Amino acid sequence: MMTLRMALRSIGANKMRALLTMLGIIIGVVALVVLVSLVNGATSSVTNAVSSLGTDMLTVTISDDKGLPMDLETLAKWRDELGAVGLTAPSTTASVTGKYGSDSDSFTVYGTSEAYDDIAGLKLCMGRFLNSADVDSHTRVCVLSYKAATELIGYTDCVGEQVSLNGMKFTVIGVLSDSESITTSMRSSGYTAYIPYTSLMRLSDSVTEAVTSFVVSAAEGRSVDEVELVLTEKLMERLEQDDDAFSVSSMNIMEDAMSSITSMLSILLGGIAGISLVVGGIGIMNIMLVTVTERTREIGIRKAIGATHGAILRQFLTEAVVLCMLGCAIGIFLSWTILRMAAVIASGLSMSFTLNGPVVGIAVGFCILIGVVFGLYPANKAAKMKPIDALHYGG
Amino acid sequence: MIDIQDLCKFYTVGDERVRALDHATMHIYPHEFVSIIGPSGSGKSTLMNIIGCLDVADAGSYLLDGIPIEDYTDNELARIRNEKIGFVFQSFNLIAKMSAEENVELPLIYRGVGKAERQRRVAEALERVGLTKRAKHQPTELSGGQQQRVAIARALVTKPSLILADEPTGNLDSKTSAEIMGMFHALHEQGNTIVLITHDNDVARQARRIIHIRDGKLSEVSL
Repeated sequence: MMTLRMALRSIGANKMRALLTMLGIIIGVVALVVLVSLVNGATSSVTNAVSSLGTDMLTVTISDDKGLPMDLETLAKWRDELGAVGLTAPSTTASVTGKYGSDSDSFTVYGTSEAYDDIAGLKLCMGRFLNSADVDSHTRVCVLSYKAATELIGYTDCVGEQVSLNGMKFTVIGVLSDSESITTSMRSSGYTAYIPYTSLMRLSDSVTEAVTSFVVSAAEGRSVDEVELVLTEKLMERLEQDDDAFSVSSMNIMEDAMSSITSMLSILLGGIAGISLVVGGIGIMNIMLVTVTERTREIGIRKAIGATHGAILRQFLTEAVVLCMLGCAIGIFLSWTILRMAAVIASGLSMSFTLNGPVVGIAVGFCILIGVVFGLYPANKAAKMKPIDALHYGG
Repeated sequence: MIDIQDLCKFYTVGDERVRALDHATMHIYPHEFVSIIGPSGSGKSTLMNIIGCLDVADAGSYLLDGIPIEDYTDNELARIRNEKIGFVFQSFNLIAKMSAEENVELPLIYRGVGKAERQRRVAEALERVGLTKRAKHQPTELSGGQQQRVAIARALVTKPSLILADEPTGNLDSKTSAEIMGMFHALHEQGNTIVLITHDNDVARQARRIIHIRDGKLSEVSL
């Protein structure tokens, strides 16, 4: 307590110098806190966008059914049997030529069922999605992607229009909204249409009763990982324990990849900021060495009246650490101000930039460490002085 | 009190080996007021450093209060200085950034005395040197005589066995010198042991006993 007061007093005695000394630490702390907080803010907003768009979806692809094909009934049965599974829907794609009036273009057609929009997190802006009656009676209806509706037909309000897919007439019953699911926008760059699975069987020769690809969502309150486990077990059982016969993939992979990229970015930027903190620490050491030399006589007096090695060491070490902590506090305050400003500027981007708690903790811890590491040498130099040499220094 | 036997101390200046203390022997008894006088370069600073436990001798023995001062670590010497010796220097040696009060308090802090006790003893020491009113002033706001009185208060506050004064009047005019010397007399009267080191015969003569030092050798002149 006493040492702390002495340290504050001696820093206060030379404010300008203290401020300049702290500058390195201040810049280092600001760089660390601001950069990492910005990366985290951007990351969390992107991850939110990803997870809101059907990341609880699992895609199963069967490459070898071992003479035991999956059909729509089995799929429905699994949905009811497996508690962890929420919804299932076939999802087989085919490339066809779509035609409206005299314009034609290539389409990716999804043969699926009524549950697909919920599983994949699709949103409609017009009309309705497929229903079970459409699937049961192989109705020739389709749901178009926003892009297909606006570019091929020319407007979004096209429910009731007829589109020809590979020569077969399909009635448009719905149009997806502009913000397509990230999954669909990644899979195909062109036009997309969703039609009943049974209708796709008629449209394409390669599509049969045997479903080779389907999507699954997790039941309310169940995790995707759990579903993946259950599903894999079920498929292994069905496909003679051959794990090459099928694959189960989830969007979690994307999330994982993303988080690993951003955490690497955090570490990289944090590392650069850490270097500037170390440079700041060297500045502290430099000034502490000057201070020790300037105060040689004071050290001599203190030793003469009974200060031990430890007491002098503590005094100068405390001073270095306090200097670092003051710099750290100023740096955190500045970071907070900068992030507040960034938040105002970026408010239109739906990104939230807030002071990242753990990073502040790391900054404080790192500053203490730097204060101790770079304060130790000067403090030890002071503590080791011989009282007579110190007393007679400079007259 | 102080028992010095055949003390030797050497310095190496360039290639030359200088003998600063040459088989010095002396005894100082409790409640004595002794002057050690010698010209500059006579080895009196060396002697004072050794008596004050700021330095240790190369040969010979030194007993302070019956304790042999040799083979101690720096920290143990610091503790002995804190408990047994009160220093008064020629150039006052107060810490500039601290008030008179805080300067006096410092040795007690290093001794680990509690706050209430510290305040009581600091107030008492300042009163003894008549500076109660100046307690909050910084050394730069005080005259030379006042600064030296603060230094004396700092020496007294630990109730040391020995007050060691090194040219305490060297930086003061004759009027203030007389005042400070009067204070040493008063302290002696109150039962303190005082060793005063000086080159000034007038100052030295005020003590009850004078020890001369020349070329590292001691000789006693009784009055």
